[in-house]
Amino acid sequence: MTVYETDVPGVGKKFEVEIDSEERLVILLHHDGKREVFHKADPDADAERLFSLSGQLARKVGAILQGAYFQPVETDEVEVPLGEAIIEWLDVGEGAALVDQTLAEAAIRQQTGASVIAIQRDSETLPNPGPEETVAAGDILVTMGTREELESLEALVESSDA
Amino acid sequence: MAELLLEVGIALTAVALAGALANRVGLSVIPAYIVVGILIGPNPPQSILGMSLTLVADGEFIQVLAELGIVFLLFFLGLEFSVDQLLRDRGRISAAGGVDFAINFGLGAAIGLAFGWTVLETLFLAGVVYISSSAVITKSLIEEGWIANAESGPILGTLVFEDILIAVYLAILAAVASGGDLESAAVSVGTAFVFLGAITAVAWYGTDWLDRFFRAGSDELFLLRVVGVTTLVAGAALALGVSEAVAAFFLGTGISQTSHVERIEHIVAPARDIFAAVFFFSIGLSTDVTLLSGVAALLAVAVVVTTVGKFVSGTLSGRFYDLDRRRSLRVGLGLVPRGEFSLVIATLAAGIGTGRLATVLPAFTVGYVLVMSVLGSVLIQQADTITDALAPSSG
Repeated sequence: MTVYETDVPGVGKKFEVEIDSEERLVILLHHDGKREVFHKADPDADAERLFSLSGQLARKVGAILQGAYFQPVETDEVEVPLGEAIIEWLDVGEGAALVDQTLAEAAIRQQTGASVIAIQRDSETLPNPGPEETVAAGDILVTMGTREELESLEALVESSDA
Repeated sequence: MAELLLEVGIALTAVALAGALANRVGLSVIPAYIVVGILIGPNPPQSILGMSLTLVADGEFIQVLAELGIVFLLFFLGLEFSVDQLLRDRGRISAAGGVDFAINFGLGAAIGLAFGWTVLETLFLAGVVYISSSAVITKSLIEEGWIANAESGPILGTLVFEDILIAVYLAILAAVASGGDLESAAVSVGTAFVFLGAITAVAWYGTDWLDRFFRAGSDELFLLRVVGVTTLVAGAALALGVSEAVAAFFLGTGISQTSHVERIEHIVAPARDIFAAVFFFSIGLSTDVTLLSGVAALLAVAVVVTTVGKFVSGTLSGRFYDLDRRRSLRVGLGLVPRGEFSLVIATLAAGIGTGRLATVLPAFTVGYVLVMSVLGSVLIQQADTITDALAPSSG
């Protein structure tokens, strides 16, 4: 892949990216942060404007293209950003501190600051579990809190032999 | 005070409306700013249906803002001036730029002499018709998507070549025109070169120092520092009889070596835009359209000859860049618009010249820029129709 970089006086920078032997993407970075993306079917073709993005949006889209923004779904740790707080799926390990305690006994919110918003047990999901609900090994806790709060909660669900 | 504030308010609102209107119909804003200046300025037409149109006088305050417009147009020209690009591509850029200069400056000189103008007047005229408008052309390139195509190479290369040439040209012309006899002209040229040399030396050898100097935490302080220093340098240049525009250009090239370019583009560009809009508006204010009838013949000849001139030189430039026939023709069409720099040259002429330079040349330039900026934008928009007609085989 070859990338041609040119200064465009008064506008910004232009990058021409070969995406295969013929096709090219032309990306124009304006000084004001705006990005415009053009497509050329071959080096001689007229450029066709695909879309334009603000600087901030372009960085997000770029991160997605890079694979840095998206976290693949794995049952042991899934995060959904929610402002400061994130939602995380935590596996309750064999012999973890929480096992066989009710949510009231475990006092998770008081201990860690994070909340359990649902429990997934086999194919079932218990939304909004009550304080009397007992945690079992193999449960998946759907939890919400800041990163630090969730880290301290993680310690409670780890297997004792881990 | 109330009256002045009201006048400035009317002026800026009129400019805003004219710009919006031009945008709506897809034409360059520059002619719109000029026309609205003519309409509500002190020169004819002074009334429509008995309603006074003399809303804004060509007052000192507007003139200072307009002067800042020139300074910041040239400052940004210097700032965006890419030495790297010039050196990397010097062969093709100088070939394209050389042909462009030889044909178009040559045609301008021929027109001036044919109409019986003196050598100095002819030099100004040739400059006015030679220099393409970076502002109009760059905007059209982006709007038409040509910026991503191969024809943007020779077009931008030619603009870069013109930019350096115009800086040198303005410096020499300002110095020569302000001095009467040969000896004082030589002194003026000397002063100009010493002053500009000093700016250049500080800019190129003091990059670290400049970098530190402009480093400011808040955007507000940064903006003030850049606008303050640029205005100060331009003012000092003018006080010494050196072109303020050229001084600003050199300062811009110097600062382009520092790490502040991007921040300036973000924070100072809006200030430039407002000053430049007032500059075009004030050109309208000072234009007496009745003078245009006196230059109608010259205007007609210049429009036809120089449109063809740019078309031919641009098409040749395309060939230097190994473009096919259709793209080469587009380069020719793309370079037709004239604008801000022609007006800067006319302002210089009006400021220091007498006789034809003071009245006829500015009136001619306004008419010329109005026609060429609109004609040029339309030619670019209609390029496909034109190239299809001229080069039917390569669709």
